[in-house]
Amino acid sequence: MHAPVAPPTRLRRRLAVAFVLVAGVLTALLATTTYLMVRQARLHDSLDRAERETRFGLRLATGLGPGSDLQQFVEGFGAGGLHATVLDGDRRFDSDPAVAPSVPASVRTLVRDGQLAYARLDVGGRPWLLVGGRPAGSATELYLLFNEEAMDRDLVELRNALLLGWLGSVVAAGLVGWLVARRTLAPVARASRAARSLAEGLLDTRLPEEGADELGTWAASFNRMAEALQAKIADLTEARARERRFTSDVAHELRTPLTALVSEASMLAEHVDRMPPEAVRPAELLIGDVARLRRLVEDLMTISRFDAGGEDVRREPLELGSLVAAAIRARGWQDRVRVRGVEVRLESDRRRVEAIVANLVANAVEHGGREVAVRVGADGGRAFVEVSDRGPGIAPEHLPHVFERFYKAERARTGGSGLGLSIALENARLLGGDLEAWSELGRGARFTLWLPVTEPLRAGDGPVASAGQDGDGPTEEG
Amino acid sequence: MLLVEDDASIRESTAIGLERAGLRVITARDGQEAVEAFAKERFDLVILDLMLPGIDGFEVCRRIRRDSGVPIVMLTARADATDVVAGLELGADDYVTKPFDLPVLVARVRAVLRRISGETPGTVHRVGDLEIDEGAFSVRRGGRELDLTATELRLLAALARRPGQVFTREMLLETVWGYDYLGDSRLVDVAVQRLRAKVEEDPGRPRRISTVRGVGYRLERA
Repeated sequence: MHAPVAPPTRLRRRLAVAFVLVAGVLTALLATTTYLMVRQARLHDSLDRAERETRFGLRLATGLGPGSDLQQFVEGFGAGGLHATVLDGDRRFDSDPAVAPSVPASVRTLVRDGQLAYARLDVGGRPWLLVGGRPAGSATELYLLFNEEAMDRDLVELRNALLLGWLGSVVAAGLVGWLVARRTLAPVARASRAARSLAEGLLDTRLPEEGADELGTWAASFNRMAEALQAKIADLTEARARERRFTSDVAHELRTPLTALVSEASMLAEHVDRMPPEAVRPAELLIGDVARLRRLVEDLMTISRFDAGGEDVRREPLELGSLVAAAIRARGWQDRVRVRGVEVRLESDRRRVEAIVANLVANAVEHGGREVAVRVGADGGRAFVEVSDRGPGIAPEHLPHVFERFYKAERARTGGSGLGLSIALENARLLGGDLEAWSELGRGARFTLWLPVTEPLRAGDGPVASAGQDGDGPTEEG
Repeated sequence: MLLVEDDASIRESTAIGLERAGLRVITARDGQEAVEAFAKERFDLVILDLMLPGIDGFEVCRRIRRDSGVPIVMLTARADATDVVAGLELGADDYVTKPFDLPVLVARVRAVLRRISGETPGTVHRVGDLEIDEGAFSVRRGGRELDLTATELRLLAALARRPGQVFTREMLLETVWGYDYLGDSRLVDVAVQRLRAKVEEDPGRPRRISTVRGVGYRLERA
């Protein structure tokens, strides 16, 4: 009956993961963009500066005559982490021979055409920016090499900082998500608990209606529903109680005229043989019908007592086999009913056990004819009385209903009130036992009464007197 | 005998049935009439409906018991109700459940009357300081006469016939009440309680009539 309910933690986890995903993607996007833009700007700046320096250098170089000392010229750039290289035909002058880059061919081609050109190189594991140009009216080529190590380091730092920030925000998002989810879902968990306890019958379960948010509104609706449910069930219970009271009242009201009827019928019965012949049959029918009405009213009273609850059970030690045999003898069935089995000692309500057995045997005798067998025994810690007959049996479609009130398998059946088996079942349950029915059409029916065998009885192993204390009066039931 | 019943039909048919069985019946319609009739005449037995208009059956029972040990048979609605125990505790001797069979009522009435008809031999039992004279219907404790109802006396006598022996409730029901099968063992329990209240020094700690748990009762030898 229970629908699978997702444990609240799963929902909470899902919410937290969603939080992390959104926060992670967004901050990652932001960080990447930031990094790329900063990097672009820095590269651009670096290039700008290099270009300005290069143009300045080129202007200086323009003044160089053919006989100028080119080596000295390049060394003039040597300060400030800058390196210069001049290529003049096949000759090459480096400000620092240790940092003498080979100029990429693409750059040289552009430079020879009289343009400024640049390339980023890796020399000795360090990043450099190479910018070259040709001084106006000269065939020499001037290349300047700018160290970009600092910029690179800055960019790496920036990248690390952004990465760290991203990680931090992801963790924070996860945490916040979890907490928010927990806070938000707490009322949901409460609501689900409330719904469950409502389903289990605690009809006065209500939710605190706090906050004007959706959950608050929902809690109010839930409470309204619970109230409606409670009112409805109270109505139904009340209606049922009224119905039961009515049944009980009717039965009790019928009892008084019935008592008179029973007396009158029994007096009539004494005179049937002295009546005029035409009155005999009606008198007999009347007497029989009074008996039938009496059974019905008595059964109705019994069942309405069960409905009212508060039936008391008077447990006392008894021997089940003897009780069954005595009950059958007392009704004069001993010639028709075979009793066998072993003696079982238990503690139960003698009258109720007797009533159940009498009902079962009466049914069997009525429907099963001569072959009625009763077996008494114990099985698996329970005692049983099994009453079987070889009568016509009960059709499978009727079998599940035989314990229902006023259920009659065959409409034409006479005799019983239609309450006998219901009463027997109520009695069996009251004693902590059960009643089972089995039948096969044409082969007969079998009813089994199960009774709990409580503590082993002391009485049978030599009576133990308790002279000093009296715990055995009529108040000791239960 | 006195029949107290408020329903006219039941009263009339029951009276006819009892008279046919050879019993002389005077009827009362309610508690008031019953009390008045009881004050005027002596009865061997009272059949008392518990549900009566005005003074109810319990009150009638209490008033009768105040100055008489006459046997009382109650007519009740339900055998398992607290009514039965309440009635028995007030001193009723037996009960019949409505609707009842006339022959059953007659049999119960006869059994009760047999108890007091003195057909038992005039045996005298002496158990400790108790002296039970079945013939004279009297019980003395230490020479002092005790006021017992017929049923209580029969019960004490039954126990006194064999002091020290345990009697089961069924045995007592058979010998005292005349049930042959499935009487109500509460009859015995309540009667024993009432008996103890009269013969024991401390009914809360009975020393003469002891309970044998799960079996029955026994009158101690001394």
